[in-house]
Amino acid sequence: TMLPLLLLLLPAAHAIVKVQYRPALTQSPPLEGLTTASTFVLDQPRCVFEQYGNADIWLVVALDKAASTFNNTAGPGTPETAFQGFPDTVPAYMTLNATLANYPCPKPAGDITVLRVGSETSCAQEEARPTCNGPLPGPGPYRVKFLALEGSEPVAETDWSVPITLREAKSPSSISTTDRGHSAGMIAITTILSILFAILLAGLVAMLVFWGKPESVTVRRYNTHHVYDQPAARL
Amino acid sequence: MAKSDDCVHILQGLLVFGNVVIGMCGIALTAECIYFVSNPHGLYPLLKATENNDIYAAAWIGIFVGLALFALSILGIIGVIKASRTLLLVYIVLMLITFAFEMASCITAATHRDSLTPSLFLKQMLEKYKKSEPASNSDKEVTKTWDELMLQNHCCGVLGPSDWQEYTSAFRLTHSDADYPWPRKCCVLDAQGLPVNLDGCKLGVPGYYNSNGCYDAISGPVNTHAWGVAWFGFAILCWTFCVLLGTMFYWSRIEY
Repeated sequence: TMLPLLLLLLPAAHAIVKVQYRPALTQSPPLEGLTTASTFVLDQPRCVFEQYGNADIWLVVALDKAASTFNNTAGPGTPETAFQGFPDTVPAYMTLNATLANYPCPKPAGDITVLRVGSETSCAQEEARPTCNGPLPGPGPYRVKFLALEGSEPVAETDWSVPITLREAKSPSSISTTDRGHSAGMIAITTILSILFAILLAGLVAMLVFWGKPESVTVRRYNTHHVYDQPAARL
Repeated sequence: MAKSDDCVHILQGLLVFGNVVIGMCGIALTAECIYFVSNPHGLYPLLKATENNDIYAAAWIGIFVGLALFALSILGIIGVIKASRTLLLVYIVLMLITFAFEMASCITAATHRDSLTPSLFLKQMLEKYKKSEPASNSDKEVTKTWDELMLQNHCCGVLGPSDWQEYTSAFRLTHSDADYPWPRKCCVLDAQGLPVNLDGCKLGVPGYYNSNGCYDAISGPVNTHAWGVAWFGFAILCWTFCVLLGTMFYWSRIEY
C-alpha cells in the first residue's frame, strides 16, 4: 500500500505551477527604445510570484520555434542554456536572475519598472558568464517566459509571451535623394524673370535700331513759341 | 511746350526716384547677403558636405550685384539729369548685365533650396556622422556641426531618434546598438554635458531624451536664407525692370 501512495506523491512533487501571467513588452510609459535592433523591454513580473519567496526567478529567452521544446529542468548557467551559444547551439538561454525581493508588490505608482533584455554588452563574448544578459543576435522573433527555481527544481512558470520581433535596419543607400520636385515659387521666379529679361533685351535692340535713324527723332533743341501751337510737331 | 516739358520733368523725376530706390535696395541686398555668407547658424559645413552649397554662391553674387546696383543707380541719376544719351546707353547696358547676374542668383537660390530635402540631410548624417578612420575633413566638420546642432536645439537626428534605429550608419559601426541606440547628444544633458539619466535615455523614457528631429532647426535658417536672396532679388529686379523701361523711353525722347 505504501508503493501506490509513493507513486501518487512523486508526480505531485514534480508538478510545476503555471502562473497566470504572460510576459509582455512595456506599454506604459511609451518608450522610444521599446524594441531596438538588439534589445527589447519587458514589464517586471510584479505581484506574480508572491508565493515563491525562496525561489530564484529567471527569464528564459527562446527562439520562437524553440519555445515549445524548452525543457524546464535545464539548469541556468550550464552550457545548454548559456547566452554565448545562442542561437546556434543553444535554442533558449536563461538570464536576469532575481528574487521576489527585487519585484516588490504592489508596484509604486509612478515608478518605471522594466527589464531591458540585451543591455549587457561587456559579457556577451565571455564564456565564463553564461547567464549574461547580452544583446540579441538578430531580429528574432523571440518568446520569453519567467521560470521560478527553488534550488535546481522548477516550481513555477509563466506563459510564453507572444512572439517579439526586433527592428531591422536598412542601409542608408536605400534613401532616395533624387526625386525632388520644384516648388511653385521657383517656377514663378524663373518664368517671370525670363520674360522680363526678354522684354528688356527687345527694348535694348529697339533702342539701338531706333538710334540708327536719327532723322525721325531729331527735334530742334531750341523751344520757340511756335511749338506751343503745334504740339504734334514734337515727336 | 510747357505741357510736354512738364511731362519730361515728371519722367525725369520718376526716373531719379526709381534710381534712388534701386541704390538703396542695392545696399540692402549687399547687407543681407553679407549676413548670410557670414554663416550665422553654423550650417555651412552641412551644405558644403552635400556638394550643394550653391545657395552660398547665390549670396556671394548678391553682394556684388548689390554694390553694382548702387553704383549704377548713381550713374543713372547723373545721366537722367544731364539728359546725356551716351551715359544713359552705358547705364542701360550695364544694368542689363547686372540684371542677368541677379536673375541667375535668384534662380540658383530657389532651385537649390528645393533640393535640400530631409532625405538629403538624413543620408549625409548617416554616412558621415562619427565616421571612424578614414574620416575626411568634411566628415569631421559634419560630426562637429551635428553635435552642436543637437546640443543647442535639443533635437536628435533629422526626423527623430528612430533615424538611428531604422537605418544602419557609420555611427552604428563603432557604437553598438545596445549601448547606443542613439548618440549621447540625443540625451537630456546636465551642466557638465553628461546625460541626466543614461538608462532613461537608452530606454527612451520621455523627458530623458530629445524626441524631435533637427530638420526644422536646419530648414528654418536655410529657407530664410534662400528665400531672402531669391524673393528680395526678384522684387528688386521687378522694380529695376520698370525703371529700365522708363529710362529706355526717356532715352528715345532725348533731343539728339
